[in-house]
Amino acid sequence: MKSPKNILPFAFIAPAILFLSALLIWPLVQAVILSLQDVRSVGTSGSWVGLANYRKLLTSPMFWDSAWLSLVWVLTNAVLQTLLALGAALALNQSFPGVRIARTWIVLTWIIPTVVVVMIWRWLFSTSGGIVIPVLMQTGVIDQPVGFFAQPNMAFATLVFINSWRWFPFITLMMLAGLTRIPRDLYEAARIDGAGAWKRFTRITWPLLAPTLGVLLVIGTLLSFNVFDIIWLLTAGGPAGGSRTLPVLIYETAFKSYRMSEAAAIAVMATLFLMAFAVIATRWLARPPEAR
Amino acid sequence: MMTYRKHYLLATIASATLLPFAAAAQTELTLWHMEQPPHRVERVQMLLDEFNASHPEIQVRQEPQNWGEVYAKAPAALAAGIGPDLLFAIPDFTPVLKDMGALSNISDFVAELDEAHDFIPSAVEAYSYDDGVWAVPLYNMSMNLWYRPSVLEAAGIAVPQTWDDWQAAAAALTGDGSYGMGLPANKQLYTDQTVYSVMVNGDAAEIYNADGTLRFDNPQTVEAYRFYNDMLQYSPPDAPSWTWGEAEACFASQACGMIMQFSVISTYETQAGGDADDLGVAPIPSQSGDEHNAIAYANAVMLLSRDEEKTEASKTFVRWLLQPENYGRFLNMEPGLFMPVTADGAEAESFWSDPIVEKYRSQIETVIDNSQNGMLFGFTSGRVFPAIGAISAQNVLAETLQTVAISGVDPAQAVADGQTRMQQLTE
Repeated sequence: MKSPKNILPFAFIAPAILFLSALLIWPLVQAVILSLQDVRSVGTSGSWVGLANYRKLLTSPMFWDSAWLSLVWVLTNAVLQTLLALGAALALNQSFPGVRIARTWIVLTWIIPTVVVVMIWRWLFSTSGGIVIPVLMQTGVIDQPVGFFAQPNMAFATLVFINSWRWFPFITLMMLAGLTRIPRDLYEAARIDGAGAWKRFTRITWPLLAPTLGVLLVIGTLLSFNVFDIIWLLTAGGPAGGSRTLPVLIYETAFKSYRMSEAAAIAVMATLFLMAFAVIATRWLARPPEAR
Repeated sequence: MMTYRKHYLLATIASATLLPFAAAAQTELTLWHMEQPPHRVERVQMLLDEFNASHPEIQVRQEPQNWGEVYAKAPAALAAGIGPDLLFAIPDFTPVLKDMGALSNISDFVAELDEAHDFIPSAVEAYSYDDGVWAVPLYNMSMNLWYRPSVLEAAGIAVPQTWDDWQAAAAALTGDGSYGMGLPANKQLYTDQTVYSVMVNGDAAEIYNADGTLRFDNPQTVEAYRFYNDMLQYSPPDAPSWTWGEAEACFASQACGMIMQFSVISTYETQAGGDADDLGVAPIPSQSGDEHNAIAYANAVMLLSRDEEKTEASKTFVRWLLQPENYGRFLNMEPGLFMPVTADGAEAESFWSDPIVEKYRSQIETVIDNSQNGMLFGFTSGRVFPAIGAISAQNVLAETLQTVAISGVDPAQAVADGQTRMQQLTE
């Protein structure tokens, strides 16, 4: 039997455990329970069907198409956002007039409400009064108007651009925090040793920024994967399913096809993918740099 | 000074004591509608203020929603117990909530209103099935072809009557930054409406056989999709992401020569100069030119409250709204778009005396004429197929068009796939 002294620490953490369980674990349990039933509309009841929803899912081309699109979505956003953020962070890490203002206002795209972002870009890309198409035509990039959301690949690429435009300031700030932690004297010593800008970047900046990038990789992947609002508001997963990522498929299945249990099964599968990724990534990050 | 303070204190105490009782005596109703444009919200609010002032025992407040989300939001809100007491509907939305058990049969109430105002029969029929009536019809809408007579005259073309005329007119009006025909191809309700408006003019109105089996996959439907896809070449390249607003903006800016829309009067008046003589409206061209049809249906209001007091208050509100002196002003929240579903409403001074309605009277009369041949998928030939709700919620008509127009699938195959998809959704 445990002594009161041994129980005391558990008593202290019990409220937090209970709170987290209620907040995180209970909804997940509910989703798993729902995925094993055949509930159609929200609020209605269903009967147990075992793993039937999962079997249906695994043989559904739509599910695998969406999973593939989600993977491409995460990768393309990660690459574009990292490049944009790295460039911006390196620029903002320099000393120049107005750098403080620039550091403050770079978050502008991130703090604008999503619906405003959507309205702005819809208008900019519109053929009726939008400014992007005339500019592209006048500069000779295109010779006739194009529909940025009219073809699946084009719509997907446009969504990646808009989402990256929205999110890169957040990554920039994280990178900037990482950059400011790199001691200045390392750069001065390298400069004295004759290292050029590229060498200083590859030998000092990049290795010392890598831990920050690793953390951002995990956070960014999870955030990107779960993006729903921008996609839904701009294309609703279209055209022809060309931007139907897993979150969009979950919403469509639950609230457009009225198949709550099938949607729950997709959500559970997506959660498993993300948990597996998070576990692998955090373990990899926890290893010492030389063992990676 | 002290006297004032005492009075103030007494008044405060009295208010604090009595107000809760006053509030308890008042029945509060929440109205969800999908008429989001600010001027419509403003008109609804004006009417609600009048109603609330004349019925102090009832307080109705509006919460505007949008059609894109309400199919998802309403069932979720009702399941969570925070749904509205009154919710606007189109015929294929009602079965979704009825299947949830959220609706009660209000045939007695609709009969009472019919006795008082004389509903257009087709408006009630769309909400009458499974031995009940599930919503009160409020206003009719029908799809029309809108154009500018001066633009057609300048191009030397007449108002198209047949599909061949229509395609030739669209081709003649396309070029130099202009598009002959603004057609949507988005997977959205507007595209369902325009696609079906082409289908009904190509003898493909019936999606169901009389026995309830699907007959979407037929040569007439295939031909309608083929024609629609051909017409898309005369539409702006961003049409696959259009909803109603983009089409109206295209017409108002003169980038589109013709569009299919329920009404453009409001945007034409406010954004396109408002020359009533240069706004044309015509029936949607048909394949043969003999008979013109269009998608048309009555919007309605569903009474959702389970509370007897709230249900009675909801009925009081609907009775008040359908009174001719109020009804016309309600319809004119968007002049030229919402048409009366009652006989006394069609003659109401409050409807015809609106300045915009007076200005565009000839266009509105044409719209009313066009609506006489209106049809709605799943509600044709006097039969009602409630399973259409799931098909409509997933915009399968529009989805099938995207398969043709965007994925490049042959219309025959796309329509066959569309029927399979409909079957899956209604299983």
